[in-house]
Formats: sequence, structure tokens, C-alpha cells
Amino acid sequence: MKISLNWLREYVAFDGDAEALAEILTMTGVEVEKIERRGSDIEHVVVAQILESTKHPKADRLSVCKVADGTGEPRQIVCGAKNYKVGDMVPLALPGAVLPGDFKIKVGRLRDVESQGMLCSAEELGLPKGEDGLLILPPGSEVGAPLGSIFPSDAILDLEITPNRSDLLSHIGVAREVAALTGLEFTAKRVRNAELNSAHPVEIAADECPFYSVRKITGVAVGPSPAWLRQKLETVGIRSINNIVDITNFVMLEMGQPLHAFDAYKVEGDLWVRPASAGEKFLALDGKTYELNSTHLVIADTARVAAIAGVMGGEGAGVTEKTTSVWIESAYFQPTSIRRTSRGLGLLSDSSYRFERDVDPAGVLIASQRATELIAEIAGGAPGELRIGFGAKSQFGFDAEGAAEGIEYTGSVPLRRERCARLLGVEISDDEISAILTGFGLRQSETGWEIPSFRPDLVREVDLIEEIARVIGIEQVPERRTARFAPASDADREYDRLMDLRRRLAGFGLHEARTLSLISERGLKYHLGPSAVQRLRNPLSEDHAVLRPSLLPGLMDALARNGRAGERAVRLFEIGRIFASEGVEESLSLALVLSGPVAPPSWRSGALRNVDLFDLKGLLAALFGANVHFADAQSGGVAYMASVAIEGGIAGRAGQLWPNETKLLDLSAPAVFAEIGLSAWLRCSDAGGQYREIPRFPPVTRDIAMIVAAGTMHSQIDTILSGANEPLLATFDLFDVFTDPSGEKMPAGKKSLAYSLTYRSPERTLTADEVNAAHARVKERLTSALQVQLRE
Amino acid sequence: METQIEEIRIGALAEIEAASDEAAVEAARVKYLGRSGTLSAISEGMRALSKEEKPRIGKLLNEARNAIASALDGRKSELAAASEARAFADLDISLPGIPAWRGSLHPITQIQERAIGILRRMGFSLADGPDIETEWHNFDALNTPADHPARNEQDTFYLPDGRLLRSQTSPVQIRTMTSFPPPIRIIAPGSCYRRDEIDATHLSQFTQMEGLCVDERVNLGDLKGTLDLFVRELFGAEVKMRWRPHFFPFTEPSFELDILVASGGKSRWLEMAGCGMVDPAVFDAVNKQRGDAAYDPERVTGFAFGFGLDRLAMNMAAAPDIRLFIESDQRFLSQF
Repeated sequence: MKISLNWLREYVAFDGDAEALAEILTMTGVEVEKIERRGSDIEHVVVAQILESTKHPKADRLSVCKVADGTGEPRQIVCGAKNYKVGDMVPLALPGAVLPGDFKIKVGRLRDVESQGMLCSAEELGLPKGEDGLLILPPGSEVGAPLGSIFPSDAILDLEITPNRSDLLSHIGVAREVAALTGLEFTAKRVRNAELNSAHPVEIAADECPFYSVRKITGVAVGPSPAWLRQKLETVGIRSINNIVDITNFVMLEMGQPLHAFDAYKVEGDLWVRPASAGEKFLALDGKTYELNSTHLVIADTARVAAIAGVMGGEGAGVTEKTTSVWIESAYFQPTSIRRTSRGLGLLSDSSYRFERDVDPAGVLIASQRATELIAEIAGGAPGELRIGFGAKSQFGFDAEGAAEGIEYTGSVPLRRERCARLLGVEISDDEISAILTGFGLRQSETGWEIPSFRPDLVREVDLIEEIARVIGIEQVPERRTARFAPASDADREYDRLMDLRRRLAGFGLHEARTLSLISERGLKYHLGPSAVQRLRNPLSEDHAVLRPSLLPGLMDALARNGRAGERAVRLFEIGRIFASEGVEESLSLALVLSGPVAPPSWRSGALRNVDLFDLKGLLAALFGANVHFADAQSGGVAYMASVAIEGGIAGRAGQLWPNETKLLDLSAPAVFAEIGLSAWLRCSDAGGQYREIPRFPPVTRDIAMIVAAGTMHSQIDTILSGANEPLLATFDLFDVFTDPSGEKMPAGKKSLAYSLTYRSPERTLTADEVNAAHARVKERLTSALQVQLRE
Repeated sequence: METQIEEIRIGALAEIEAASDEAAVEAARVKYLGRSGTLSAISEGMRALSKEEKPRIGKLLNEARNAIASALDGRKSELAAASEARAFADLDISLPGIPAWRGSLHPITQIQERAIGILRRMGFSLADGPDIETEWHNFDALNTPADHPARNEQDTFYLPDGRLLRSQTSPVQIRTMTSFPPPIRIIAPGSCYRRDEIDATHLSQFTQMEGLCVDERVNLGDLKGTLDLFVRELFGAEVKMRWRPHFFPFTEPSFELDILVASGGKSRWLEMAGCGMVDPAVFDAVNKQRGDAAYDPERVTGFAFGFGLDRLAMNMAAAPDIRLFIESDQRFLSQF
């Protein structure tokens, strides 16, 4: 909300500058988003009138002017502008003036002609840029008067008011707060016409309007507002419309109570408050037609809707220059009703903004009175009686004593000094508490502190303690540093293990990605698992509508982005939550994508091969420190896919994108990927390694090369060698796979596999005979179990 | 014969000394020590010597043989060393190193790790909660009025069953307190979601860190001491801070903690954390759910705080656009 410093000073004698005020407000809970400067009040800048203008004898573009500056002596000024005529009023910077940008004005000579000052443009005076050339002032301006009398300087503070402080949505409200915080006197007076009797109550057919008042003023002259009023509104960014509408806006900005003016001749019969009918159409003042329903509250006459209650008036009953008689509405609406209507229709206004945050019930009639007096003063007219109405369940009442004083109290809240000290950690004396709370308009009673009606946020003891904390500031609170041993929680253990996994992956040269949990429907094509997905009811866009059932859609996006960026090697991983609609709803998952050369290219590497599924498999084995099995290979929609099983019951999927998919992602090399569920891994013991004896005797290696049918799998050989029951056979490794499609070196339906077998005894150095015997037995098992042809 | 041996020895040593490569050394070995070499021929001729002469000449012959053999070995290793030295002399030591893969942890992971490290040293343990939350945990129990704008479909993501994606990590406070009695000292990092259009400074998903401490006799001074220390550990002891009173439904009094950061030669206040003393209404909601009075607001008090890791990472890295953190561009990620 925008607050004018000059306007504020009418209610509190704050003589600091805008920065000082901003500091006070910021440090007591009202954030100041920005400070704007208005007006121009520079010393030695005065109104001047141009008496004559002749061409400069030596410069085509310059003129020599004679101007009146109020001293009686004409002054000679050289000027470059063209937009003026003799007789115009213009700003004149006299020698000694300092314009924005530290531009000092002196008597000088321009091409041999003396210039005794400078005629100024708006921009040169720090005013908003207008037409090119000099700033032409209103014709009636007083020659010699300081420019500040026409453009008084002001500062506009844009405040961010928290939702609990509806009382700060007006100049008087902010002034009251400033007075309480600084101890300065609060000079705004609240006056209410105590005449409430009405022979004709307003009919209210909706509980959401506890109180409604309207007053007819006849014989008004609608026209432009006086300068002071126009200027006040414009300075805080409200467009001046006409004197009646401007007065209602002024009172709202002054007191926080939104008002509305209807053209009395356009209202048929009496105004009343009712819910809208379903499908009822309404043309609002913003020029748009809204379709209403029964949850919307309206002000209507006997024929039609005149306003959406508390939100916006209609074109139909709006005040125009032809209006001669008006109804001035001042009411109280339930905040929830206004919020519902405003959000439902997507229609926000200064009025709805205040009503939905709650207005001061006791301020309703005070605002009505204020507007009535201003209208009588500015637009003339005769105020009629004040008609009021109460909603059926309304608890509204006006207390006669309050009417005179202008403050009503809504309830009493007890406050214990020791409770305050216990929560804040600092002792506050009764006197100090009393000074603070009284400053905010509270009144001490037998039972506690009575709360003024404009502070609906103060309901509990802790609310009062907060007010005290706000004023004393946290600087006064002594800081305490207390810590206690915190045993590791399940979340601690999980976090540590995941960090360990992340570091290992970074150690393998992968970059950690963090993609969004919300993905597009489109992205589901990379979701290769079976579970059904969860969708949002109110997504912001199609790109973020589905809760990811897999990390792969996000990583594939990342893969494509890096591909487009020309990255030859893409190596990414992510650890994050995935979502399912059945079974475990949220679980942790690890995904990796790899594409490009196996090693960083260098001057020595020559042509590098690209990563494939076996690099991925090896990476997973090293990562988890366990054997990894790929199985059940199948061709899916986007990739060649296999299931992944890792010792410890860890499972997942791995695959390689089809070439057309790779191309779609703008990648220059094949891409392999895996996604591993981490729940099982997190359940595995993290006890750390266990010692196994380190071999003391040297190993002996023997190789076996064999030719097998092309369809024979390594896993078959693996099973035979693992199950060989040969105690001396310690390990075996596949070291060569050879096929020859040409059939020259080997028949086409065959392949050659070569294994290196390591024999070792924990007790002694093996003899050649022992090893040869064991090796012969292993070969025998192979040949008898499989159709293998050993190559010697 | 003696003269003959001496001549051979001198000739051989000179020839070996002059050998300029391994082949020449090998040729000398064959010539002098080989089966049909000159020393072998003399050795043959020893048969003709007398018994008295034999040992003397034999000794001379052995000495000559050893001297030549040792000269051969010496020359051979001299030549090998020279050849190795020549190889290194030709090495272009300015050639670039062979790169190794270098991976990275995401900058948000890194800042989160630092923050967790500091808070753990102050005796906080981690706690966790789901991303998909109930409205009760995310709003009701946190003293958020039924018609609060944040509950709006425009501000919060909802699932068809009425649950929502948590808009803050604060529901972890509720989950922890409903499961465990006081005292509580927890921190909870995690993803939160708000229905904001994604732009240079906003994401619809962000990472928050929540903190909660509940015990008897916890006061505002404990909150101040904890966050003051935390911020100084993170940004250095000299960091400038300010505490602004603020409003949150679930704490009272509430504050926002700003730190002074330098950017582009100017300094400005950066919103660092929201915090406050736990509102008694939150304890009431927890007690009601627990069915006991473990969190009697007259007996226990607490403080809570929360801060966004994305904004923090963005500021610490001086990154111009928050979207960089979700785009997974390796040219960005590899900078951290």
C-alpha cells in the first residue's frame, strides 16, 4: 500500500525523512518495498514568465529570453528549447540553485551572451519526463513563487502490510502506528455522528453483511476535484475521476473504510443487500461483464444489481458529470465472503483488498460522516438521513460512549508479565508494557487489556506479547547458545548414506542434477516402470502436471538440453523422490544417464569408443560394491531394456535409447541409463567392511579360450566355473570375446570366449602339477556341460 | 703369452670404451669373450704350458677376462642411461595433461550439506516428511485460517483426493511432535511447492530447511542465539544481520532474519530466514491429535525457523537466474 509522507504528517508530527520512517516501519514489522520521490522543491528554483524571446545573434539553435522572476527586474536567460511562447510560465533556476545530478547554476556566457540562470525541463528538476523542452506551468502560477509551491516534494512509501494488520491499510492507521512506535502525538480525531435512528432500515437478506449504511445527498455538483484532493490521490497512484468518486477514495485512503457512491437517479427504489441469483449478469465499472452466482453478495435496487458488495460498483448506477444526487454507502462485509467473491470472479479492487482483510467495524459510520462532510463542502448538496441495516446474525452494535470518543473496545485480553519474560527471555517492566500497549490504543482494565475495534488481530495473550516484542526489538533479547547431544535419527542415517552415494557418483565423474518433481504427460514415455501415476488437480501448466513416477523423464530432458548445448559427454545422476499411486507412495530413487566417450578425449586418446551398457553395469558394480546382473532383455518403446539386480535385493532397470530417440534428443553418441530403487539399499546394513585374510601365497594363472555357439551366454560359463567345486580356483575373468561375421577366422554361428583363471592356495605355493590337474578338471567340466570347443 | 694377454686386455678395454651403441658392445663381447673369441683361443693354448706356468698364466687370463666383462657391463649401462636420458631430453613437457572425469555435487546439495553440518554441531537431528501432505498437516495444524489465501487453488497444488503438495517444510514440525514427546531438536530439509510461474527468481518447487526446538524454558533468546551462530558459521563471523518483526500463522512473535550481502559494489539486505516462537495454537493442535497434553503451552515453549536453500545457493554463487539450478546444464553444474 502506498503512503504519502506529507499526508501522513497531517496525523502525526513525524519530522524525520522517508528513510528514517522506512527504517522504523521495517524494524517493527512493516516492510517498505520501495520509496518513490514526488515533486520538486529545489532552493532557488522559482516560477518565471517569459516576457520576450529573440534569436541568439551567434547561434541558430539558441534564443535569448527576457523573463520576469518576481523581483521586478527582467532577467536575461539563454535558452535552447523551442516549445514555449511569450507569456508562458516556466521554471527558472537562479544562480545558486543545485539541480539533481549536482548541477550548479551560475551566471554564465553562452556564445558571448550572458545567461543569468536556466529555464528548466521537467526532467532537469527531477520530475517525471514530460514533453520535450521546457516544463510549461499552469497559466495562473504566481511569478517568483518557489517551484515547491506547485510541486511540493513528497516521498511515497510502498508498504507490504502483513495479512494480520488490516488496520494499517490507511494513512490514519499508519500514523497511529508511527505515533505508538515513536511516542509522537497522534493527532487524527475520530468523530461520528451519533444520530443512528432510521425510520427506513436497509433490508439485508444475507448473513455475510452484518451492517450496511447508506446516505442520500441531494443537489450535488459533480465536477473536477479541487487541486489538493486531486493531488493527494494522484500522489499515491489513484486516478482522479470526479469530486464525488475522489472523496470516497480519499476517505478510504485516509481511514481504511471503502465507500461507494451511487447515482441516486439511476437507482430504482431502495438499495438492499442480497445474494446474487445464479447466472445473473453484471457490467462492472472495469467495463467487463461478470456472471454471478448465489455465493456472491450484491447491492441491488428493485430492478437490478448495482454493485458486487465490497468489490466493485456497476456502470449502471455510476456517478457521472450529470449526477445531481448520490447515495453514499459505508458498510461492513464478512472478510471470507469478499475474499470468496473476489477470488471467484478474479476481480480485485482497493475495496475488496481492505474488506477481505477486515475493516474496523467502529470506523464504518465515522467514514460515512467524513465523506458526507467533504461532499457538502466540495460538491455542495444537502445530506439526508443515514439509513442503516443489520444482518440477521449480526453482532454489530454501537456504543454511545464510543460514539463520542471514536474508539470502541471489543474485548479484554489478560497479560502476565512473567509469561512475557518467559517467552521473550527478557524482563519487561509493567510500566514499559503499559506504555507500549497504551500507545497502540489498548486500555487497561480490571481483567486485562481492552482491545480497540481496529485491532482484530489481538485476541490472545501471546498476541500482546508479540506487540511488546515488536517494539522492544530483538536486539534487547540476550542470545543464548544451548545445545544438546542429538542421537542420530532414521532420517540422519538415510541422509548420510545418500550423501555417501552422491560423493561416490561424483567421484566416478558424474554431475548431480536436481530436476523438478512435476513433469509433463509427454515425459511419461520415459517412465519405463509399471506403476500408475498421480496427477495434480490444478497444475499450473501442462509441463508440470504429473508427479514423477521416475527420475528418468527429468534426466532425459537434461540429456537433451546438454546435447543441444553441444556437450559430447553427458554424465548425469539424480537422487530424489518418485511418486506412485499405489503401494509405497513416495520412495527414493537413483537414476543415471551416460552418453559419449568412455574417457575424456585427449591428444593421446585417438578415437575413443562410446559408453555402452557394460560400462554402466561396471559403474553400478563399483558404486554398490556388489555383483550386478542385467537380465530379461527386451525391446521397449524408446530403448533396449534390461532388468537390473544387485546383491542385497536392490533392483532397477537399465537400457540404451534407440538411435531415433538419441537423435530426437540431439545427442551425438548413444545414451545408456539406469534407475535403481534405493529403499532396499537403505535397508541393507551400513556396518562397514569386514576383514578377510589377504593372500600370502602367489597365484598361478591359466587361460582357457573356447569356441561356443553364438547364442551361448557368459552367464552359462559363469555358472559352470562358479559351480566347479574346485577349491584351488580362486577367481576367473572373461578377457576376450571374439566374433567374425565374415566367417574367415571363425564360422559365423560361433564366437570365441577367453577366460583367465586364477589358482591359489591360502596355505602354500602351488606346484605346476597341482595347477595343471585342477585346470584339466575345469576344462573337462566345461566340455561336458556345454558344446564348447577348447582352443589350445 | 703374458704380453699377448696384456695386449688383448688393453685393446679390448679401448674398443669397449669406444663402443658407441649396444651392438658394438655386444660385438666386443663376442670378439673377446665369445666361444671363439681371442681370450678363448689363449685359454686353448694353455694346455701347452708347463705345470709351473699354468697357474700364473691362468690367473692373468682370469683377471683379463673379469676386467673385460666388467668393462662390457659398465659400458652397456652407460649407453642405456644415455639413451634414456636422450628420450626424456626429447619430451615436450608442456603437453597438456590427460584429463580425468570430474563429477560434481549439485550446488544446492552442497549448501544443504554445509547447513546441516552446522546445525548438527548444535545438536539438531534430521527429520523427514512426505511431499504429498494432508491439508491438516500443512495448514490446519499450523494455525492457518480456513480461508487463508495460501490455501487457495491459485497458490497451492492439490491432488484429486484433496491432499496437496506441501507448500512449506513446516508440516514436518507437526509430524515430529505428533510422533515424539518433547524435548525436540530437529531440522528437516526438503522440497516444497507453490503455484508460482517459473521465472528468473521463482520456481514452483524449491528446497527449504525447517528447524524446530521445543523444550521447557525455551525463549526468544535461544532462537536468536541459534540462528545468529548458524548465520555466522555459514557467512563468517563478521556478517551483518537484522531481525525484522513479521507475521506467520504458526509462530508468534515472528521475525524475518536478513543478512547484508554485497552485489555489484552495493550492499543490500537479503531475506535469509523466517522464524519465531511456536504459536500456542500449534501446540494445541498437536495435543489434540496426540490425545494428551505433552505439548502443554503453559509448560513447553519452542522456536521454529525455515529458510530457502535455492535462494541461498543462488546468492552465494552470484548466479543471475534461479532456473540454472533446475536445468542440469553440465556447463553450470561443473562450476561447483
